[in-house]
Amino acid sequence: MGVLGGFGPELFDKAFDNARVAAERVTFPVRLAEKDAIQASFTSPNQIDPFTVPLADKLAFMQAMDAKLNQPGVFQRICQLTFTRKQIVFMDSEGSEIEKTIVEVFPSIQVAGLDAQGQMHSRTYQPPRMGDTRGWETLDMEVFSENAERIVREMNEVLAADDCPKDVRSVILLPGIMFLQTHETIGHALELDRILGYELAFAGGSFVRLSDFGALRYGSEKLTARADATIPNSPGSFGYDDDGIPAQNNLLIDKGLLVGAITGRQMVEEANARANKVIFDGSSGANRATSFYRVPIERMTNINIDPGDDGTLDDIVSHTERGIILDGDKSWSIGSNREQFHFATDIGWLVEDGQVTRVVKNSTYQGETVPFYNSLSAVGDASTWEVQYTPNCGKGQPNQIMQLGHGVPVCRFDNVRIGE
Amino acid sequence: MKDQILHTLQDLRAYALQKGVEASFFYHEEDSYLMRFANSAISLNTNERLIRLEITAHKDRQRASYELITALDKLDEMQRGVDIAAEMVQHAQPLSYQPTIPVYTESFSDESAYDPALATLSNEERLAFFNRVAAGLETDAIQLSGIFSCGANILAQINTRSEHTQYFKTSDAQITIVLSHTALKWEVSAEQSAQQKADLNPDVLRRDLVFLVEHYQHDTPQQLPLGTYDIVFGPSAIADLLDFMGFIGYNGGLMKRGFSFLNEDQVGQRVLSSKFTLTDDPTRRETFPFQRDMMGIARQPFPVFANGVFEGFVWSQDEADEFGAQPTGHTVMHNSIVMQGGDVAASTLQELVAMPRENDVLYIPYLHYMNVVNPSKGLITGSSRFGALLLKKDGSVVVPYNVRLTQSLLDIFGDKVAWLSQAQVVVNASSSYGARNPRAIIVPALLQVNGLEISHSNPSY
Repeated sequence: MGVLGGFGPELFDKAFDNARVAAERVTFPVRLAEKDAIQASFTSPNQIDPFTVPLADKLAFMQAMDAKLNQPGVFQRICQLTFTRKQIVFMDSEGSEIEKTIVEVFPSIQVAGLDAQGQMHSRTYQPPRMGDTRGWETLDMEVFSENAERIVREMNEVLAADDCPKDVRSVILLPGIMFLQTHETIGHALELDRILGYELAFAGGSFVRLSDFGALRYGSEKLTARADATIPNSPGSFGYDDDGIPAQNNLLIDKGLLVGAITGRQMVEEANARANKVIFDGSSGANRATSFYRVPIERMTNINIDPGDDGTLDDIVSHTERGIILDGDKSWSIGSNREQFHFATDIGWLVEDGQVTRVVKNSTYQGETVPFYNSLSAVGDASTWEVQYTPNCGKGQPNQIMQLGHGVPVCRFDNVRIGE
Repeated sequence: MKDQILHTLQDLRAYALQKGVEASFFYHEEDSYLMRFANSAISLNTNERLIRLEITAHKDRQRASYELITALDKLDEMQRGVDIAAEMVQHAQPLSYQPTIPVYTESFSDESAYDPALATLSNEERLAFFNRVAAGLETDAIQLSGIFSCGANILAQINTRSEHTQYFKTSDAQITIVLSHTALKWEVSAEQSAQQKADLNPDVLRRDLVFLVEHYQHDTPQQLPLGTYDIVFGPSAIADLLDFMGFIGYNGGLMKRGFSFLNEDQVGQRVLSSKFTLTDDPTRRETFPFQRDMMGIARQPFPVFANGVFEGFVWSQDEADEFGAQPTGHTVMHNSIVMQGGDVAASTLQELVAMPRENDVLYIPYLHYMNVVNPSKGLITGSSRFGALLLKKDGSVVVPYNVRLTQSLLDIFGDKVAWLSQAQVVVNASSSYGARNPRAIIVPALLQVNGLEISHSNPSY
């Protein structure tokens, strides 16, 4: 419950009344998984706190970014620098006292243009996390310059391109769309509160059942996914969750086999009780709240796909007979149990006999989650792996916005429907 | 409370004037109550009373905003916000157009859509509503989920151009009830919107849920073959489709940016079915309407489509300033969209099932996670959810697994429209993202569109 203007007796009276009536409908009494009492602090790694940088310097940086985008063919350009600082003090009656200061920088640039039919097409660059810090020092004008030139060129190629054909092909997902594929069909699908039915009033459930852990072949043997809240440079790393559980690095999918979920203290107890066996050995440290007036719920940390041994992007392309390379998150729509999906991307490059042939516009692909991941036929090496961030993942009623990350390589999936 | 809010805004205006700052103030206060159900329990019972203040500083073509969560007795904190916005605007890059700052010529107050009895429903009343709807429908396998959200919303405005204020106060409730099978994973739902307490009617929700549970519990579900279907959309699906039309259709600014399936040459032309009439009607109190927009323009019913003829784009002040258009009174947090009904008497699911039909008809009450695939073509995609039924031409009813539609709004509301219900239904379209913003869309209870293609069909729930 959130009430402005201090902590008066009225606040506690209302909270008590809310709890009193809620107690009239209880089907599984709340129990919390055991944890250690922790006294600790966490500060996200920063060399330069962006909040100490003068506003004039920030605007000068953005104007320099913007100047790089002001090129022929560009109808609209957007430069964005978002800075956030969260100061969280967590205390509980179990003896934990944790103080966190989390500072983030979220930059992006976007260009849009109109094609001959008046249709708008855009291209976006959101730099992957580089280095081991998250502060102002991560903003590299050289990187923006290179990528500004690239996205303007690619957007102009899209403006002149034909539509993506309706076909069945291999799709090669670059990190700029693979992160969202991972987010929507591995991340959300493996949130334990969704699996247990706590999001059915709105966001939906999950095709995953408790009996699937240790049994479901979620993907091919090339698929290893993990929830890793320990990588230093991503917003999905926060030291301790809002239950006071230390950050962890847990396998979710091990060589294709489903082995783990995104969990908090309450849900693991309920899941184990419902399954009548221990599936989850304690919380995975993934309960977070968007603000002081919302309750913590299961949120993704950094939901990552491990790099594979299929080489570089060029290597994967050279071993693809009929495919399409896709990048950019233009549109996404996912089934209520995360069982199927439809994505549209900013750009596509057709691949024929191991060669990139031409750019296409209005690219889309769709599939069913489990067959799709079981068609994973190539996973790029570490050179293709990038940590992409998500600054605005929405979940819950009332809604909560959360920041997180996805470390993903280039991935190829076979026999996928495109162009619909 | 109202006097205190307006006095605070007057004080902030005086402070800005004293500092030589051109500023606008947008005050938002919500008193929100949310009872959330899951697994047949109350999984969350919470209330939030929050005040947000957005301060916008203006300097010719420069503009900067600062927003804070605050309290009415924290005038110092709000004044610091004015100072921050004033500092920010010095650095803002000038807009390519001259933004308009309204001059309110009189103070305006509207509390006509506020019912204190609804805004302050007790915990017991909300729980009793749910218990009545779900009585006898829950089992060990069939579990109750949903929300009962209600509350009050206050918006108030002032700026340094005049001493006059605008003040809006509304009450609202949004109810969603879901019954789902824990093992089989099917789910059915019913929804209700209320602007006043008298709008609440648990028996209507119960009627629909009883019917759907009966079929979902006992019928064998089927995977539908891909292909074209005659589809009847229910109220939630229609409202969601219309929401997207407001986004990628008749919004003037987005049209100018190439993000619309309509263009200026189509004004006055028949673009959609002659059965399709759409109006932004702020006289309908069920839509939590704005009688005036944020610029102080008095709002009147605004025809968007009349019998399929496109009547014109809506323009907010800022987009009108940018593109040299005339504002149409649409600088509002939400419109009051009303889709006119048709000539078919059937208005409930039961009546639809009882209708004679020459072909199989797929009933889709709800579209989940809709998104835009290609705005220029009006192409959207989404999946059926919450109680779809295949009504066979022989009169039997089949429960289908969910399907995906990837279709153009030009087709859905175009010449493929077969019929619409006479009766209209209010669909609450509020979301719980950010500040409370109660809004509702009025739609025909049912809409049949023939020959729409299903692009994906689930093999299970």
